Amino acid sequence: MLGFILADLRCGWPGALAIGLIVALATALGIVVTLEERALRLGSARAANAFDLLIGAPGSETQLVLSSVFLQPAPLPLLSGAVLAGLARDPRVAWAAPIGFGDEMDGLPVVGTTDALIAGLGGLSEGVGFARLGDAIAGADAALGVGDSFHPVHAELASAGEVHQDTRYTIRGRLARTGSPWDRAILVPIEAVWATHGLHAGETAHGGGEKPDGYHGFDADAPVRPETLGDPAAPGVPAIVLRGRTIADAYNLRQEFRGDDTIAVFPAEVLTRLYGTLGDARLVVGAVAIAAQALVAASVLLVAVLHVVQRHRQIGALRAFGAARSAIFLIVWSEVALIAATGVAAGLGLGYVAARLIADRVMAASGLRLPIEFTAADAGVVLALLAAAGACALVPALIAYRQSPAAALRG
Amino acid sequence: MASLSIRDLVVRYPGLDEPALDIPLLHLAPGARVALRGASGSGKTTLLNMVTGLARVPNGRVAWDGTDLATLGEGARDRWRATHVGLVMQDFHLFPGLSALDNVLLPRRLRWRGAGPEARAEALRLLERTGVPRPDQRVETLSRGQTQRVAIARALAARPTILVADEPTASLDAESGEAVGALLSEIAAKDGATLIIATHDPRLIERMSQVIELAAGRLADDRLAA
Repeated sequence: MLGFILADLRCGWPGALAIGLIVALATALGIVVTLEERALRLGSARAANAFDLLIGAPGSETQLVLSSVFLQPAPLPLLSGAVLAGLARDPRVAWAAPIGFGDEMDGLPVVGTTDALIAGLGGLSEGVGFARLGDAIAGADAALGVGDSFHPVHAELASAGEVHQDTRYTIRGRLARTGSPWDRAILVPIEAVWATHGLHAGETAHGGGEKPDGYHGFDADAPVRPETLGDPAAPGVPAIVLRGRTIADAYNLRQEFRGDDTIAVFPAEVLTRLYGTLGDARLVVGAVAIAAQALVAASVLLVAVLHVVQRHRQIGALRAFGAARSAIFLIVWSEVALIAATGVAAGLGLGYVAARLIADRVMAASGLRLPIEFTAADAGVVLALLAAAGACALVPALIAYRQSPAAALRG
Repeated sequence: MASLSIRDLVVRYPGLDEPALDIPLLHLAPGARVALRGASGSGKTTLLNMVTGLARVPNGRVAWDGTDLATLGEGARDRWRATHVGLVMQDFHLFPGLSALDNVLLPRRLRWRGAGPEARAEALRLLERTGVPRPDQRVETLSRGQTQRVAIARALAARPTILVADEPTASLDAESGEAVGALLSEIAAKDGATLIIATHDPRLIERMSQVIELAAGRLADDRLAA
């Protein structure tokens, strides 16, 4: 029986292969959509893990999240230095760190911050943290090693910016892998960013004011002084990331900083909104994938039925020679189901490989790691596909079952 | 040994005024070797379908040794045919990709019976008897004459008491046709099987003990209706 099925498939292998491939491609299409959407959700949620609560100047909440969590370049309005100073003393805050964008090095973002964020992102995998203004920490994937030095370039969107010749950073440590765009970033002390851009404690957005000692220009060897951040007169920053001591604290802080002068947002809530849009898109693409699968099922069914009808004399002959109808039913069903099931299995592999390739490209382009993984829910989808294939195979099998053995004779 | 008794068999096809087959009475003795002759459309194939149970008997009686095929359902006819009838056809209907031996064993396997060492030995013996030298050879690589020999071995696998052949020599060259005709009549004679062959081949007809001539669905010679 099995020998006959295999021999029959061997004889018609080009057709069987073509049908199997079509089924595989249709399956892969659906699998890729599912895997990528899940990977995007998981990957972005993991990237946002360290960012409990973001505080920024009034503007787009979404842009604040995209710029802080995903380091998407955008001109953000600055928060007053007093906000960070207040948070540094707030008992509800476990840690708060400024995020200062604006510079880059060979396309890698150079971000000003403090040791607090380094710890929050997962700490260092090698080297030491900030001690002097000229110290820098490389992200896990930044193409710089401990000991390398560089000049930052002032980032101007869509054009090459001016090189900050006076500022020279040296990599002192490397950030543990985060799986987020921060892996491609270079972290520097926020005071160094201020100094590079000529902003000093005491200077406000309105200009003027006293310049305290030690802040004249950029001095790579000047020590990092965390207490500067507690100075209400410190320069502004585009965003502050913080973690509350408790969840209730975080909610209180979010409430308190949603006002005329500041916005406060849980990245998770913005991401959830984005996932909603993403989910809608997935529904549309998923529907297209299912429609494609249905079309493939219909055409495979058509081919299978034509094939059975075309071979009606051969099938009749099998019965004429004494084959049981049940055996003929089973043979035709098995052949169609086997081809379809093999196609589904190959489609799973194909879809996984394609999803991995896409994830690799996204990673290379953005630094965001997309975890491509199957879940238990996928088993249900695969079972449904297999069940559909098995149900479709019933049609040609029934036609073959009803085939009269008299067809075997010329007539 | 099987005897055939047909009574009041009338087969009509939709859209045709005249019946395709109209046989009031036909009797074949056990071990008869019958050539079935007639022009195309004379009802030969219809008659073969009736006596082998390949098609439903619409009315009348077609009985082999008292088993009236008209009373059997489709599955029952399949089972009866599998154990009583050996079929040989003009275009062989062997299955490519399988060896000669596997083709002989195929009907048995497709009746959920499997092929134990006994069945295998019997199949090999039949292939030897029909003159197929290499049982392991794929059938698509055999000559037409060899192919028909494999088909005859397959027809004999169930030790049938009835052998029915439909133009078994028509697609063979003269020499192979001669050999196949000789083989069929020799085997039927030795096994005592009742042999019915639809054919136009005069040399094959010569080997038969009697001839049934069909014309427009009716027996041309009423002497057979004994």
